[in-house]
Amino acid sequence: MLEKFNQLSFVIGVFFIIVSLILLIGFLTSSALHHNINLYTGIGMIVFGLVMINLKD
Amino acid sequence: MRLYLADYLIIFVYFLFVIAVGFIIKKRIKSSNDFLSSSRSIPLWITSLAFISANLGAQEVLGMVASGAKYGIMTVHFYWVGAIFAMVFLGVFMMPFYYGSKARSVPEYLSMRFDEKTRALNAVTFAVMTVFSSGISLYALAKLLEVILHWNFDLCIWLAAGIVMVYTFLGGLTSAVYNEVLQFFLIVLGLSPLVIVALHDAGGWSNIQANLQPQLTHAWKYMDKAENNPLGVNFMSLIFGLGFVMSFGYWCTDFLVVQRAMIAKNMSAAQRTPIIAAIPKMFMPLIVVLPGVIAIALMQPALLSKGYSIPLDENGGINYTMTLPSMIAHYYPTGLLGVGITALIASFMSGMAGNVTAFNSVFTYDIYQSYFVKNKSDQHYLTVGKLITLFGILFSIATAYLAASFNNINDFLQLVFSFVNGPLFATFLLGMFWKRTTGHGAFWGLVMGTLAAAATHGLTIAEGKGGWISPVYEISSGMGQAFIVAAFSWIANFFSTILVSLVTKPKPDEELRGLVYSLTEKVYAKESRWYMKAGPLGLILLLITILLNIIFF
Repeated sequence: MLEKFNQLSFVIGVFFIIVSLILLIGFLTSSALHHNINLYTGIGMIVFGLVMINLKD
Repeated sequence: MRLYLADYLIIFVYFLFVIAVGFIIKKRIKSSNDFLSSSRSIPLWITSLAFISANLGAQEVLGMVASGAKYGIMTVHFYWVGAIFAMVFLGVFMMPFYYGSKARSVPEYLSMRFDEKTRALNAVTFAVMTVFSSGISLYALAKLLEVILHWNFDLCIWLAAGIVMVYTFLGGLTSAVYNEVLQFFLIVLGLSPLVIVALHDAGGWSNIQANLQPQLTHAWKYMDKAENNPLGVNFMSLIFGLGFVMSFGYWCTDFLVVQRAMIAKNMSAAQRTPIIAAIPKMFMPLIVVLPGVIAIALMQPALLSKGYSIPLDENGGINYTMTLPSMIAHYYPTGLLGVGITALIASFMSGMAGNVTAFNSVFTYDIYQSYFVKNKSDQHYLTVGKLITLFGILFSIATAYLAASFNNINDFLQLVFSFVNGPLFATFLLGMFWKRTTGHGAFWGLVMGTLAAAATHGLTIAEGKGGWISPVYEISSGMGQAFIVAAFSWIANFFSTILVSLVTKPKPDEELRGLVYSLTEKVYAKESRWYMKAGPLGLILLLITILLNIIFF
């Protein structure tokens, strides 16, 4: 697993998954983040992140 | 604009990742080549995205959105007239010489093709320009964060510079390039929602067209005369000044971007790097020009109810530079606001890292190793490269404080850079395609081109700038003046180089093999599939670019 961090695509994928989780968890748990634009962007980023972690450099 | 926990968390995660990239790459750094030129080992998709990203610093992003608001859709000329054609030319015609010569830098190519004095002139001016650019980028970041978030200026300078220092010191060029790719995706994914929401708010493109002056929504229709369009230039000046001289000068000769193609794994990948990069570049106006056009549309009477306006400057005029930050503040809630701010910070830091890594390569290879300490061990040059990285960052910090103390220094430095950059492409064009060009010709051509640029600026005046010799000719926009200055400097360089070359002795043919078109065996990418070849790919991109120009005519 750690070896995968040598791949840039994996690093980028993990980064966007973390950012999307902040947006999505925030959307579900905080009124300040409860905006549709956070939800849609979070979904978009998590899809992108998943694609990236499955790519090979 | 106020940030909350989620926003800070996103910024923190970004900082954590860029530093982590430095630590990951550190394990691979064994030699000076690993540190300064990535040992030509970077995959094509990374070199391509880094190529475009090296130019996607925050000044570019903020500047293009500002130009979109000021000049309208004509700002796309920087992409669809300028960048794409130059990038295709670089990939198809120039990369075989840069890559095939095995030069480690653009100044080193100049030493092989011409002589040491031409290399020294290019290396020293480039090193000075990059380190100052890095400092200006740092200053702009700290100033922006101070204005929009009320963060402490000194803290912003030292935090941003410290993070860039950690990852460039640890991983060198590879680390900078990897972070540029991360930055590219952050900008695209971070700013795309803004474009969608703002466009929807403005009632779509047709409503924008209905509310704006037609000069702001047509790329070519009003280019017949300079006085008919907000750019203040006609189509001839635009095509020659921007499309040929400035764009080719930047994209084909600036080591900061060319370096990204020079670190590709092989010739085929090196040639395709700028061409693959041209694909996202072609559509970048959607992210960095369209928001500016939308912003100015939202300020028209019919859309005032939307409640958005670009902030004013201290003189009461529209502060176009603040267009993007103000749109982010207007449309992004907590959470996405953190993404938007992180995208801005990322682009500033990436711009700085790009300059520092180009600076350390040129300083180590083309100045230190060439003129001061030759024939030392590779470990010696690796250590020097790392120390120069630290020096570059510290000098950037000093420049940032200098810029903070003297308001006009940014404009002055940008002006001097334009004088030096303007004529460069003529030197490379003649050097690569006319074997008779000599080292003396190239050197004096560059000197004459730079002097011509300064003289043209001193004899023309636009928006109160220039005319410091005598304001003989008035130009309606600063951008128009920049195109004309570039055009004159290029012409002066081109003809001076030819004249001096004709009266000086050229290098023998055998010394020019692999460096000049007519003496080089055509070893362009040995790929059998057409879509792996630079030529056909470039041709398709040019056709699409022409089509885009027609659609937005």
